[in-house]
Amino acid sequence: MKSALYRILISTAVFLTYLFLYLPIIILIIYSFNSAAFPAAWQKFSLHWYQELWYDRDLWDAFYNSIIVAISATFLSLTMGIALMYFHMNSARIKRWIMLFYGNLIVPEIFLAVGLLTFLSFFSVPLGIPTLIIGHALLGLGYVVPIVYARFSELDYRLTEASLDLGASFSQTFIKITLPLLVPSLIAAGLLVFIISFDDFILSFFCAGSTAQTLSLYIFGMIRSGASPVINALSTLLLIVSSLLVMLFCWLNVKTKIF
Amino acid sequence: MKNRLQSLFADRSAIFIGMPALVWQVIFFYIPLFFMFYLSFNDSIDQGYYTISNYSSLFKSSYIPVIFRSLLLALFTSLSCLIIGYPLAYFLSFIAGRAKIFYLFLLILPFWTNFLLHIYAWFYVLERGGFLNRILLWTGLIPEPIKFLNSTAAVMLVMVYCYLPFMTLPIYSILEKFDRRLIEASKDLGATSWQTFTKIVVPLILPGIQSGLFLVFVPAFGEFAIPALLGGDRNMYVGNVIVQYILGTDTMSLGAAFTVAVSIILLLFILFFAFIIKKVIKD
Repeated sequence: MKSALYRILISTAVFLTYLFLYLPIIILIIYSFNSAAFPAAWQKFSLHWYQELWYDRDLWDAFYNSIIVAISATFLSLTMGIALMYFHMNSARIKRWIMLFYGNLIVPEIFLAVGLLTFLSFFSVPLGIPTLIIGHALLGLGYVVPIVYARFSELDYRLTEASLDLGASFSQTFIKITLPLLVPSLIAAGLLVFIISFDDFILSFFCAGSTAQTLSLYIFGMIRSGASPVINALSTLLLIVSSLLVMLFCWLNVKTKIF
Repeated sequence: MKNRLQSLFADRSAIFIGMPALVWQVIFFYIPLFFMFYLSFNDSIDQGYYTISNYSSLFKSSYIPVIFRSLLLALFTSLSCLIIGYPLAYFLSFIAGRAKIFYLFLLILPFWTNFLLHIYAWFYVLERGGFLNRILLWTGLIPEPIKFLNSTAAVMLVMVYCYLPFMTLPIYSILEKFDRRLIEASKDLGATSWQTFTKIVVPLILPGIQSGLFLVFVPAFGEFAIPALLGGDRNMYVGNVIVQYILGTDTMSLGAAFTVAVSIILLLFILFFAFIIKKVIKD
């Protein structure tokens, strides 16, 4: 009896929590279909803002920049991560070096961004897309290395031994045995890095300079200067894409040691 | 066996293949952090001229309340997330049953979408003609719209909103492994629900709470976007001051000094936290 009461209490609390989490998003999505701009009340259903989103040049430029940065950062951090695992397989003494990469998760991003900016500006490196890629690849390494390393440690070493016994070289073993076994964790880490880079705001805010615009910076600017429902239309589309990515991520079912 | 095999087959050039990641990490992470420290002892305008005036001017300025306010905000956010997040994590692991994957999906989704869009979504709720004011006006609780935006309350609310998943997921992952028989055993042996909760459940899920607190407190302390968009101009937080100094003209050294000072305070606060949690475990 008492436990049933607890259950009802907790379920109510959870219902309210999810309402708290999703009510703003639902309102946001509903207003993306409103023919009038916000503060105005609901008028009638229209796809006007989606049409305007389609023709918004600045927004699409920012979007492409974000995509370029995210893809490059993902590619760079994955490549470096895989290479590091190859080195790790060869040498037994790498464990404490791996620890170096956990710093990215511990230090708040704003400190990291400040550090990177002071460093870059001291050597008068011009800020722009390349510096963004550098920063995001660094963020990416902080996720790729721990995730892939965790998966690597779980691998059955006997498979490697068998491969070496049967005459394969180290690089053959890595490419034909180890790498295929690492693929799920590589995809998961890649997805995570892509989305983190794509959604990143703080680091981009510091390291983009005045010329390069990413989608996050564009949205920030628009919210500040009074946004139009174009952002709502964009949010709706991005939510759909993210949902698909999350499903893919859950489907991979990789134990990420982030939480 | 492992070592012998490795020495037989090991690829001597592997060190060069493994290097880029390590070099990248050191050059763009550790050296810049050190650099920030170095720059904080430089004169703002005349670089290369060493001074501690950056630090002394920080103490003279009015930024002590800013740090204090940020600490309070981070503390409020992490405790609120804990109070809301624990029942949620409990629900996910023990009550949700087969629908669990769906609820988890809803909890992870915000983490995968741009959080600026979530902040933006709150404008629709909190604006003068927004959802909340409409509801309140309709029910007749208030005679005219309330100004919710540009206030500390708005910042606090959206902070909790944005950081909730970071608290819930670590607790959930610990509760998932929790052996429910322990609770039954405790109750069988005559403990009350409250005793079971404080003596059995809390000590066992403490690691999850600890990492949740860490994941929320640290970024919440340096948060920039939420106060900048929802907090108005009067209430400055650590993140805003850092941005103002670092991106301002000729104040970069001062900004570096502020960042260093703030990170030391943050570090001390975390150590203090860890000390208290250790004390709690011992008792």
